[in-house]
Amino acid sequence: MTNSLKIGWLFPNTLNLHGERGNILAIKAEGIRRGCGVEVHKITLDTQDFNPMDYDFLFCAPGEMVHFPEIIRFLTPCKEELLAYIENRPMLVTGTSIGLFGAEIIRSEEYTIAGLGILKIKCSENKAVYGDDLLFTCHYNDKEMSIIGSQIQMMNLDIFEEPPFGHLNYGYGNTGKTKKEGVIKGKGIFTNTLGPILVCNPWLTEEIVNLIEANKNISLCQIKRDNTLEEKSLITKVDFIKNKETALTNTTLSE
Amino acid sequence: MKFYFALWYAKILSWVINRVSKDRGTNLPGEKALKIDPGFVRNFKNIDYDKVIFITGTNGKSTTTNLVAHILTENGKKIISNIEGANLLGGIATILAKESTFTGKLKADYFVFETDERYLPLIYAQLPAKNMLITNLQKDQVQRNGDPDFIYRKLASFINSEMILYLNNEEPRSKSFEWMDERSVYYGVEKHQESFIKGSDYPTLACPKCHHDIQFDYYNTDNVGPFLCKTCGYASMKNPDYEITDINFKDKTFKLKDVVFNMPYDLPFMFYNYAGALAICEELCDISPTAAAQSFKNFKNIGGRFEVLKYKEKTIKYTRIKQENPDTLQSAINVIAFDPKEKMVAFGLNVVEDFTPHYANTFYAFDCDFKPLVDSKVESYLCFSEHASYDTANRLIYEGVKKESITIMDSDDVTKIFEEIDKVKSDNIYIITKLATFEKMQKFIEEGKKQ
Repeated sequence: MTNSLKIGWLFPNTLNLHGERGNILAIKAEGIRRGCGVEVHKITLDTQDFNPMDYDFLFCAPGEMVHFPEIIRFLTPCKEELLAYIENRPMLVTGTSIGLFGAEIIRSEEYTIAGLGILKIKCSENKAVYGDDLLFTCHYNDKEMSIIGSQIQMMNLDIFEEPPFGHLNYGYGNTGKTKKEGVIKGKGIFTNTLGPILVCNPWLTEEIVNLIEANKNISLCQIKRDNTLEEKSLITKVDFIKNKETALTNTTLSE
Repeated sequence: MKFYFALWYAKILSWVINRVSKDRGTNLPGEKALKIDPGFVRNFKNIDYDKVIFITGTNGKSTTTNLVAHILTENGKKIISNIEGANLLGGIATILAKESTFTGKLKADYFVFETDERYLPLIYAQLPAKNMLITNLQKDQVQRNGDPDFIYRKLASFINSEMILYLNNEEPRSKSFEWMDERSVYYGVEKHQESFIKGSDYPTLACPKCHHDIQFDYYNTDNVGPFLCKTCGYASMKNPDYEITDINFKDKTFKLKDVVFNMPYDLPFMFYNYAGALAICEELCDISPTAAAQSFKNFKNIGGRFEVLKYKEKTIKYTRIKQENPDTLQSAINVIAFDPKEKMVAFGLNVVEDFTPHYANTFYAFDCDFKPLVDSKVESYLCFSEHASYDTANRLIYEGVKKESITIMDSDDVTKIFEEIDKVKSDNIYIITKLATFEKMQKFIEEGKKQ
């Protein structure tokens, strides 16, 4: 019998800003490469009886904050299940949507949206947008790796005592003032890295699928993946970052 | 008195810059004048705000402005317009200073201004136009705009119940401003042979009214087409006030209100510009479609996005896209995909260099459906550019293109690009890249001809 991976794509039409569909393609391709069947389920505001525990991987892309109250209303009944889910199962949340899972989001018009409270963090929308490359190291599923991507930062992220997902080599990260990038809670990744992070960083995709396989007691895939293209992309982008002009002072990328 | 000093200074500066180059000085004199008199624009005399129209939105504002200006001029109207494209407050201040008397008096039938959507609240504060056309609000320049709602809020901050809005009937965000104005005029485009649908895994967008999912019947251009939110019923109108119909690509004609028009450019994204321009001309300026149709015969778009080069026996078709803007990339892909001939396709997606810091963003390519292109007859692909070529190639691979069909070149060296063009059998070459690379290619061909 073919092993099957069940992916939950949270609010794909409501939360959709920076080509995040690429992440679904990447996780699907990696599952198929390992000989698994992959089902992608779109969770929308009209989905009935959503239960996170029905899924092996959850993905939540960034979106416009104007839609957040409706999404939080939808997810609130599943808060405990989401907490239980990320204890062992992988979830990827990117960009502004980190705010959905935090304690509160303070909007630039100075009103506050109460989040799900799964993370003890506070998000404050910035009046100006900051866009840049992002390069950091992180540990996931006991593997250390470099992550490259882009960041379009519309809010600052005070993560207080929560552990960061990554340690910045270059980029704005959570506040532009520290080397902290994102948050990790259990197996839930909350990162500012936008767009197809799982396409550009297949080493992270591999670890997510390794974790899914372990959770499902599937024997780990032994066929090595060819990441040559992505490795070359990482090298050229690191080279670009090293030589570019920047006003950031929280990180310096040395040789 | 401050206003007069500012005005005279701007006029002198314009005159001096004009001596050096006629193409320059569309912004600077106005910017300097605004330094002297921050309320400079509001101090001009004889502006009837009922006769002022702003044309704004993500894509199409320059073309629509050019077309409106062209139709009005051809029909004997005196207009003041920033058709050179300086669309910030400084640009508008410059053109007003240039066109006014030494005492700041203006004389025009209509004032037609392309306006940058981000800076519109500042412009409106000094020039409260009673009319505004919104082409569309899409993902664009995310490094400074973040998301479309960022711009939506900018526009919503000043749109009021005394304004008349010209709204794209088939673009959900733009149409939703109908809740805020005095009167809305809707324009749209009928289904045509290049209308398309995207795979079911491509996201659409959230309803601006209830946040649930918007569904499109089909797209006329990316993210623009007849739509419906099943939850709240928000939808495009079946019969907008101004609709382009009977689009005939072969004869290059279309109809509006049963009048036949020549189609100067048959690219799908242009149809909405035609519809919007014609709506303004009739509703605001009393120029009927019949009268406007005559002007279409000699309309030339300034700074168009499509160019053709001849190289040896090959034809190179260049499509300029706006980086970070999936809609312009999707339009370019669709144009190439609709060409039934065998072709080579070269992608030179680049690092985004709008301002510091530059960054290597190509993520907008994942919002675009490459399948129609992949399914069309493509002999080979070339992905070039120093830091984004691998990511571009990877995007194609995720769409099912075999690695062996893609040449990856991590440079923008035009000599090498031409070497790759020489290698292919096809004489039908498409290239998508930044303007600077294309201009180098143009120069390369011209220098080759001289030798």
